[in-house]
Amino acid sequence: LRPVMAAPEGLSEKIAESIEHAKEACAEDPASGECVASWDEVEELSAASSHARDRKKEEDPLETYCKDNPETDECRTYED
Amino acid sequence: MAVCKMNTVLHTPNSMSSISTPTKAQMGFNQNHVFLYTTSGKKTNTCKFRSGVITCSGETIVIGLAADSGCGKSTFMRRLTSVFGGAASPPKGGNPDSNTLISDTTTVICLDDYHSLDRTGRKQKGVTALDPRANDFDLMYEQVKALKDGKAVEKPIYNHVSGLLDPPELIIPPKILVIEGLHPMYDERVRDLLDFSIYLDISNEVKFAWKIQRDMAERGHSLETIKASIEARKPDFDAYIDPQKQYADAVIEVLPTQLIPDDNEGKVLRVKLIMKEGVQYFNPVYLFDEGSTISWIPCGRKLTCSYPGIKFAYGPDAYFSHEVSVLEMDGQFDRLDELVYVESHLSNISTKFFGEITQQMLKHADFPGSNNGTGLFQTIVGLKIRDLFEQITTNKVSAPFEAAKA
Repeated sequence: LRPVMAAPEGLSEKIAESIEHAKEACAEDPASGECVASWDEVEELSAASSHARDRKKEEDPLETYCKDNPETDECRTYED
Repeated sequence: MAVCKMNTVLHTPNSMSSISTPTKAQMGFNQNHVFLYTTSGKKTNTCKFRSGVITCSGETIVIGLAADSGCGKSTFMRRLTSVFGGAASPPKGGNPDSNTLISDTTTVICLDDYHSLDRTGRKQKGVTALDPRANDFDLMYEQVKALKDGKAVEKPIYNHVSGLLDPPELIIPPKILVIEGLHPMYDERVRDLLDFSIYLDISNEVKFAWKIQRDMAERGHSLETIKASIEARKPDFDAYIDPQKQYADAVIEVLPTQLIPDDNEGKVLRVKLIMKEGVQYFNPVYLFDEGSTISWIPCGRKLTCSYPGIKFAYGPDAYFSHEVSVLEMDGQFDRLDELVYVESHLSNISTKFFGEITQQMLKHADFPGSNNGTGLFQTIVGLKIRDLFEQITTNKVSAPFEAAKA
């Protein structure tokens, strides 16, 4: 149906590409709809990339491991 | 209301009932949904499945949050859902690029999902996402109305990575529905559905500083490209997004500090919380004495502050010819005792116990803005929304719901 995982890795290439495109689009006419829409695309991709980075930053290596292996010595927690 | 927790796809059934049904999806996609729902112990409301529609009795409270992209909407949302307890997470098993966040009481939907034009479509027409022509306000109105009336909807998903409109996801009416995005108060019909509305107003200087922090490390970006992107979007922003702030019940304005002359780093901030007077179920916060004009520097014998210190201001004002109360904080906290000290001098903050604001802020000390007025005022607004929600739920039987919007 659609790709299973979002690929934030490919995003930085996309951003660089869309910045180039926006610069070209604005070289002709800085007030054109095409120019404005191109910079809007840059903003959208930059925001998506920053959200992806934040999500990654939040991942704690031990917690990620413990999600998959809750029975190991490092991960076992008892309420009482 | 939010008794229904939903999982769109095959998840190990651990709840009370599970129904498999082919749902009629919009946008020409056909999907099979397996959803599970549980009813909470309190039984204030229940969800029923009848003839292809899930309806939940009880009312959903709708909150609107407007802000430009990259202005801290997601941080605000995390603070808000935290006040209600429980972490918010994307719908389990659904589209990995879904913009929706679901917690026990709250569902946050991103209004980008109502784009009528995808990324390619906008480029062909030469319009930005800020332009009303790129958004389907009819569908937005219909679906928010349906959710408010307790009916589940099939909401499209705008994929921010691919820039395409993905097949829809099922949204079940929650107790509190938050619609966040660029245009929650743009369309009059949608605006009238909101029980409370917030606008995050970030000044140009601060927006620029924040975007530099966000984007400078990104390949291809430079000071010039960041500036160009902000300037290109500015005419549409001024025409379609900014005017919405006049309808907001609370506006959080973020400005450069006045404590440091010529500061443009955007690290020390002057933040204003502008609260509309006369909104039902919403009593503005005040400092020392309600309705007076006060300037307060908490640093002194009881509190040591490092440079540049902290300065508060409070007073009545006019905002788009509405009567408002404004609470302002300039500077940043170094230590926790400062915040408890400040909290103890604020009134009408709708906390349940002494020190709740401080506790909430400590819980998320790693979020951006936790050491300045943005975090403080976002937390206060979160508590105000909880208060509003509780008042509406208790008064629901006696008072007509429409009265919530004065």
